[in-house]
Formats: sequence, structure tokens, C-alpha cells
Amino acid sequence: MLFSRDDFNYNDLKVKIGFFHFSSCSGCQVSFLDMFEDAVEILDTVELVYSNMLTKRREVSRMHIAFAEGAFCIDDRRHLHLAREIAEKAVMVVTVGGCASFGGIRRLSVGSQPPQPSHQSFIPLTEVEILQGKIKYAIPGCPPNPSLLYNFMLALLEMNEDFLRPFEFMAGSKDASGYDILKEVVNKGLCVGCGTCVTACLARALDFNPVYGKPTFNPALCAHCGSCLAACPQGFKPYPQPVYP
Amino acid sequence: MLKLDRFFLLGSIKDVYRVTSSCHSPLELILEKTMEIESVDGVISAKKDKDRAVPHLFLPGERIELPSPFYCFGINTLLKKAVQKYHLSKVAVVAPSCVMDGLNKTQYYGIGCNWVKTAVALKVGVLCTGLTTEEALRCEVLDLLGKRAKVRRSFYCESGLVYELESGELLPVELEVHHRYINTGCRYCFNLSARGSDITAVPTRHANQTLLLVRSERGRRMLSLIQRIFPGLLSFSPADEEELSSLEETLRRKMLFNVDAVLERVEAGLPGPKWDGSRFRKFYRMWNALSDYNIGEEVY
Repeated sequence: MLFSRDDFNYNDLKVKIGFFHFSSCSGCQVSFLDMFEDAVEILDTVELVYSNMLTKRREVSRMHIAFAEGAFCIDDRRHLHLAREIAEKAVMVVTVGGCASFGGIRRLSVGSQPPQPSHQSFIPLTEVEILQGKIKYAIPGCPPNPSLLYNFMLALLEMNEDFLRPFEFMAGSKDASGYDILKEVVNKGLCVGCGTCVTACLARALDFNPVYGKPTFNPALCAHCGSCLAACPQGFKPYPQPVYP
Repeated sequence: MLKLDRFFLLGSIKDVYRVTSSCHSPLELILEKTMEIESVDGVISAKKDKDRAVPHLFLPGERIELPSPFYCFGINTLLKKAVQKYHLSKVAVVAPSCVMDGLNKTQYYGIGCNWVKTAVALKVGVLCTGLTTEEALRCEVLDLLGKRAKVRRSFYCESGLVYELESGELLPVELEVHHRYINTGCRYCFNLSARGSDITAVPTRHANQTLLLVRSERGRRMLSLIQRIFPGLLSFSPADEEELSSLEETLRRKMLFNVDAVLERVEAGLPGPKWDGSRFRKFYRMWNALSDYNIGEEVY
């Protein structure tokens, strides 16, 4: 429920959303902007109350949905402060992209030796305890497709639970990588060899072996974004299926 | 519930035509002509390369030669190439149901490849009772025939799946044997007739004939366009009931093997996928409590 009895105002029925940036390349926010004219359809129902890229507001006001991108840096006090503020002021948190949802490319960072960012420690927002009760959905991708974000926004506004359910599962998953395709689909004998995961992989970590009819995985290239398992028709299948009489 | 009736096996169908062409396969001809009239600007499918089928993107002007048997993996890997490298915006995809499932999911959610949602102009499903690799196909023929032989093409007739060998001999395929040699993932498939496509093509005994199950208005429009622009090129006749019944029977027999494989998997306690672990269990519960569930309200 986005609206509670306390904050319900007949004169202001817009859903208030904010974009929060943790440690990432900002590609996920850019992807939101790439919705182009599709965004116009949504803008009359939502109000952007905070975004470090799109608004000049410094104060974080109360909001219904906080979209958060990027991984949480253990060594960064500002991240802790921001996470606390989101936990306090947002009704619901949606993690956008691989970094926020599953760690993403930040999984490759090692140690904690500031000031080198590559030496700091990062965890996905789904692992941050103060946010765990708030994070309802996790969107995979590096960055997620604009059309996925648009569909997600529409589904969220319409409370289309069929569409949202897999993203709810993903919020409970703290790790994702190309190994998922091998572990969860190929090893379990579920791979049908359609090649959808290879198309979904933005880092070209997945390739296809036409002789065996199965994907192959190069872990060195994987961005840990979760797109491959999310796109796999064997991963979950809640898109409208034929209904039997 | 799961009665394994025609609606479950073949899905929703608007028309069924037996299409005959004077030269090569009607499906190949239809695809070539749709590219010629620019209704489609590329065809993602497969072609025969030496001894095996490989995914291939056919561009306008190229002769379309689809492999038979249509055993090809990885067709969806070409989506990105078609959309992002060649900037195609009206792609036709010809493939079995697993590829259609992946494509439909990509379109529904938008996961994966940008603009796939709007770039696909026609989805032609291929009726499939399970894919095999080249090696598995060779072994299957050896098992059935008792000697080595090469398969020239496969088709479905009243007796079920038949392999036509290079020697011209016809080899009826026992579905039980076929079920053993197909890809493991295909044993759990409940969409043999490629529901979710615009047209489903079923290869028949004669190479210049194909059974087309038209499922959508888009598929029907494409066929009528070809008929109007190229009159006399293809002859369309309504398929008779017997043909559909025998096809339905073949699919029913295969589906029972698949149902058995799913039930066996759950009973053995083998795991499902990470984000949808209850998928097979849900089916198991439904299958074992037929009277308690109304599948009309279930989305499996």
C-alpha cells in the first residue's frame, strides 16, 4: 500500500518517487531518462521529489517509492546516512540494476584500503539490514532496459502483481551471475537451448555452443547483473500463459 | 483441468490450412516473399551448415533454406545482432516453442535486448516434440534402425513422427525412444505446438506441403497479403479433421511422456529453478488433485 490513512490527501494523489545514487555509474538513472516519450505517460501520475541528477533539491522529503541504484560502500559514511534516510522516509524501496540488487561489478572489489575505490568493500543494497524490510522489488540489468523500467513503473502504478512477482523474488536473492544459468538451469537439466540468456547478457559473458546446444560462461566478463536468469524462459514463467478452459 | 484436449495441445487456432507450393517448402517461400514485399526485413531462424543446423539471420535477397528436422539451438542469440547491428525493425522469427517462450518473455518484460518488443513482425512456431543434438539424432536412428543412417528430413503424419532417411526410406519414430534422446529440458515442455506464435508450421509427408495453424490476426493478415500479391504461388486448402486429430493424438502421446517426466522429477525431489522453485511442484499438486483445481484460473 503506497498511501496510508495518515498521509492521504485528496488534493495530492500523485505517487512521489525519488532516485537515489549509491556507488554506481548512474547508468540506471540514464536508462530511466531513455524512456523518452513513454515517460510522459507516467509523469502526470508521479512526482519526482528527489534525484541527484534531475532535481536541485538537497533535502530528502517523504516519498512513496525510492528507486535506488548502486552498491553500498561499507567505508562511506554518506552511504550509511543516505540508507538511513531512505529507510526513514520511503514507504517502499526498489533496487534498480545489478549493483544495487546483486552487487554487480562491485563484487569484484577487494579489501578495504581507502582512498582507492577499487580497494573498498561494497555490498548490494539488498544486503543492508536497515533497508531489508523496505526493499520490495529488485530490477536486474546493467543497466536495465528502458522498456523494462517503463513496464515496471506501469505495473507498480497499476499494482499488476503478476508482473511484479518475479521482481519480488529477485529482492530476496542477494547474488546473481552467469553461474546462475549454469547452476540453476543447465545443471538442473532445464536448459532448452533457446539462447535468450546470451541475448540478455550485456557484458557478453555468455556465449553459445551450438554443438551441445547450451550456453557457455566466461566469469571474467560477468557484471553480476542478473539479466540472464531473469530473461531465461526456464527461470520463471509468469508472462501471460495460455489459459485452459 | 489438464484434459490434454485439443485446446491444451494445439492452443487457440483461428484457421488451419494445408499449403502446397509448386517448388520448394511453402514456409520458405512465404518467408522469402514477405521479405520481397518488405513486410519483413529479416528472418531469424536456422540453416543447414554441413552436417548440422546453425542459427542464422536471413537478410533480404538471401535464399531461405530451413533445416529439417528443425533441430537447432540458440536461435534467440541472433536477436541482438538483428536489432542492434543490422537495425532491423520487422523481424520474423521461425523456431520451436522454447525460442518463442524466450522471445515472448523478453517482449513482455523488456528484459535483455532493447527494442525487441517492437522489432518482431512475425512469429512462426515450428511444431516440435523435442530437440536433439546431431550426435543424439545419429544415436536415435541407430537405436531405431539398428544401423547408421542419415536423416534427410522429418515430418508428422497419421502414424506420428517420421524420419525420411538419405536412402529414401521412411523411419517411423517411436515416441518413447525419441523421448529418451531429446534434450533434457525438452522433456518438461508443455508447449509442443508453439502456442504464443502467430503461425505454427507442421511439416507433412510431402516436402512441398505444410500444415499451417494460424493463431493470430497478424498471421492471417500476412498469409492473405501473400495470396493477394502472388496469386497462384501457393494453394491454400482447409485442413481436414482427420489430419488434426492424428496430430493431436501424436502430441497427446508425447505430452504424457512429458507429464510423466515432471511428476517423476518432483517425486525424486530434484530441484527447480532459483526464482521459481515451486513451478514443478505446483503442477504436481494440480495433477494429483484434479477435482480441487480450476485450471482456468491458474497460470502455469
